[in-house]
Amino acid sequence: MSTRDRNERIELLQGTLDLLILRTLFLGPMHGHAIAKAIEYQSNEVLLVEQGSLYPALHRLIKRRWISVEEGISENNRRAKFYRLTAKGRQQLTVETSKWDKLAAAIGRILRPGEREGKS
Amino acid sequence: MKSRKRMLRELEEDIRDYLERETQDNMERGMSPDEARHAALRKFGNVAQVREETWEVWSVVWLEQLLQDTRFGMRMLWRSPGNTIASVLAIALGIGINVGIFSVLNGAALRLLPIPRPEQVVSVSPIFHGHFARNVHGEGSMSSYSEYLNYRDHNHVFAGLVAYEPFVDATLAGGTVQQLSGTLASCNYFEVLDEHPALGRGFVDSDCAAPGENAVVVLSDALWRGRFAADPSLVGKRITLNRVAYTVIGIARPEFTGTEPVSSAFWVPVTMQKVLEPVRDLLADDDLSWLAMLGRTRTAVTLEEVRADLGVISARMDLQHPGRTTSLAIGAAKFFSRPEERSHLLPVASVILAAFALVLLIACANVASLLLARASVRQKEIAVRLSMGASRWRLVRQLLTESLILSLIGGTLGSALACWSFPRLTAFVTSHLPSNFPAVGVNVAPNLHVLVYAFGLTLLTGIAFGIVPAWRDSRLDLNTILKGDGAHAGSERTSGRFLLNSLTSTQVAVCMVLLLAAGLLLRGLYYAQTVDPGFDDKNVAQVFLNLREQGYDESRSTAFVQNLRQRVGSFLGVTEVAQAECAPLAHDFSVGQFTVPGRAEKVPIEYNHVSPEYFSVIGVPIVRGRGFTTADVHGPAIIVTESTARRLFPDEDPLGKTLREYSGREDSVIGVAKDAQVSHLGDLNTTYLYFPAGPQDDVRTYVLVRYAGNFGDIAKGIREAAHSLDPDISVDVIRLADNLEAWRIPSRIVAVLSGALGSLALLLALIGLYGMVSYRVSRCVREIGIRMALGADKTAVMKLVLWQAMRPVFIGAFIGIALCAAISQILASMLFGVSTHDPIAFIGVPLLLSMVALIASYIPARRAMRVDPIVALRCE
Repeated sequence: MSTRDRNERIELLQGTLDLLILRTLFLGPMHGHAIAKAIEYQSNEVLLVEQGSLYPALHRLIKRRWISVEEGISENNRRAKFYRLTAKGRQQLTVETSKWDKLAAAIGRILRPGEREGKS
Repeated sequence: MKSRKRMLRELEEDIRDYLERETQDNMERGMSPDEARHAALRKFGNVAQVREETWEVWSVVWLEQLLQDTRFGMRMLWRSPGNTIASVLAIALGIGINVGIFSVLNGAALRLLPIPRPEQVVSVSPIFHGHFARNVHGEGSMSSYSEYLNYRDHNHVFAGLVAYEPFVDATLAGGTVQQLSGTLASCNYFEVLDEHPALGRGFVDSDCAAPGENAVVVLSDALWRGRFAADPSLVGKRITLNRVAYTVIGIARPEFTGTEPVSSAFWVPVTMQKVLEPVRDLLADDDLSWLAMLGRTRTAVTLEEVRADLGVISARMDLQHPGRTTSLAIGAAKFFSRPEERSHLLPVASVILAAFALVLLIACANVASLLLARASVRQKEIAVRLSMGASRWRLVRQLLTESLILSLIGGTLGSALACWSFPRLTAFVTSHLPSNFPAVGVNVAPNLHVLVYAFGLTLLTGIAFGIVPAWRDSRLDLNTILKGDGAHAGSERTSGRFLLNSLTSTQVAVCMVLLLAAGLLLRGLYYAQTVDPGFDDKNVAQVFLNLREQGYDESRSTAFVQNLRQRVGSFLGVTEVAQAECAPLAHDFSVGQFTVPGRAEKVPIEYNHVSPEYFSVIGVPIVRGRGFTTADVHGPAIIVTESTARRLFPDEDPLGKTLREYSGREDSVIGVAKDAQVSHLGDLNTTYLYFPAGPQDDVRTYVLVRYAGNFGDIAKGIREAAHSLDPDISVDVIRLADNLEAWRIPSRIVAVLSGALGSLALLLALIGLYGMVSYRVSRCVREIGIRMALGADKTAVMKLVLWQAMRPVFIGAFIGIALCAAISQILASMLFGVSTHDPIAFIGVPLLLSMVALIASYIPARRAMRVDPIVALRCE
């Protein structure tokens, strides 16, 4: 378990899990457990992946054909399911990332109106 | 993509793999294997739920769940066969009668015409607005012959437009004389309707070449079989209609009964109108409503295009009639497609459908309370499913699936029975109608409309009776039930009791409405049977002679009638013979506008031309002044009724007063007759006056014969006397009392129908009540046991149980009475003899219902009293 206090961890916004999975798989095919770990690790363990929601999300992405699943051998020589980004998924990642940037910037402007004035 | 099934199987492996890795990680952090596994599971969450949520991503999941629910529902229903059978029967009954009555209405008003490609045929009815004078022979929204020709020749939307005059009476001579109802049709009728006679041919254009020239006729299959024994050589032979010989050119297909709900017996070219109906030349009148129109549209022409195109033609015709505008009612051609016909049918159809729907409502409430009762037995099962993580919506869906299975089984059974029995029932009823009722060509066999209606009604029923129990069941208090106190949690909860009570109240209220309506109608029927019409119709024979229609002129008519009256008057047993323009209650009325000199007000008054003997033959006394004498024939004498005198000349002596007719002629009152319901049964307020009958009245007259002795002999004598004067004459001899009977038939049909419906409703409501009380008693056996063990009086406990059972009954009964008080106003306006505040119905029906309800509750309640307190306490 994580060493951080539970209070500091942020639950994921609806829909953002899909984006994070796509981004994580951009680095290469991974199995389910690794995806969850990677998201937690890369966010300095701030983001808590509700592990239960990982599988519905993965299958949602498979159904949309943004990722594919294949049989593979993991680092410790065990058979596992590997999830891989498809070409369509790659495109979608770009779209989703720019959407997220816009959203984050917009929310940032609303929450901190002063900073923006100071910069300009 | 991989198959979905494999995908789901692999999901299992993947989740297992995930958990193993997490466990491994945890162990590396120093946890014991057991601890590590538990921590991993805790972090992952509910495995079953994750699996289910992932499955739901693959959306066909709802189908799987449906199958699952169906299988499970079937098992649940199978496990309580008594409940299931009772529910299925109640639903089958409710849906069955609704589908049945709908199939009758569908046959009458929704089915397309019985011709090839009926969907292309539209009915065209002009509706005239504004101030203008127009003659009507039939219905107001019909057209004249010249208007028809205008529409036919100048439209761009129809492959053909036909016109016809429906319900043309004709006398078929030869052998026994027979009255027929047929059609005068334009000569493209058969061709445009694409209706090819089974034998011979339909009309061709040359049949309509010149007015009155081509005496040809197409006969209906029914007439051909009934009258001519299906003689194939009839085509080409001649038959006599209204004294003129017509050549039979064709026999219609058996399925083709014409384009009106009343079957047509024959078709004659419209140009023969003056010959067939010598009374009046309708063809020449350009401003007369008498022809109905049907058009077959060209391919790909919409109704809007038809409306626009014909609108141009009607607007052009309006130019010649200042102050008149015409709008066109255009719609798919059916029986009852003209606006007047629909406006008569619609209120009747909606009242009938509503009454039948009420029975279904009772059945629904019935099944809902059965389900509620059963649900409390199933609380434990439902609680387990909820605590295992089933979502509420999922559970509601599952319970609804069960009720839908019930309604589908019941609905299918009921609809199948209805589709089988109603065509037979209708055939039976129509073949047993009184002989003077017109033949009705309604096809009751089910079609797509009926199936859709049945299916829709079934689904609606399933949801209606399932939603309340399902919603309630999914909101259980898990703790109480799982602790094992489930058996009582439900019955003690006030919301559950309230639900059951309101269901009972609903059933009783609806049942009360139906029973009260039936009671009022039966009382109305009783009144109609026993009402004194104010004249004596016993021992009077009525002879109807329409001589003008049979080709007689005035002098021949007078000679014939005088001769007949003399011969009949000399019969043994005949005491007096009279003549009248309208026989009492014969549905034959004449109304004129009269003014009292010196007053501007125009008064519509019904009138009758009668011979001097009329008043004594029907037993109506002259209370003031004198009756008619033969000297009055051309004189300005009239006799008014008492109430008419009171209305026209209040507080004055009516004798010697004058009335001005529409024509300007003035008449003076020579006598006052006692009030009698001679024109409308049940209506005493009709203004009515009598003129003396003259020779001009002989062309169409009723001869009234007062006799002593056997009606059969008298009727036979009258017919023989008439045929000895003219062998081809059509004489219609009935008892005068039969007219009264005809007024009672609608009340009788409605009373029988509503009585049957009311009894069904009562039966269903009682079964519901009985079930509800039995259920409640079985639930509080322990309570009763404790009370009795503590020394409660048996009768006190009984009173308590009965009171609890009867309270919702009383509430429902009260609501029902209030509702029915409102409905009875409508009934009273529609049917003769129904009084809105009939005390016997309003006291008798609630009493009957309460008594029967009391018995239905008493039987199960008594069973509870017999329970040994020890047994009751121990069995928990």
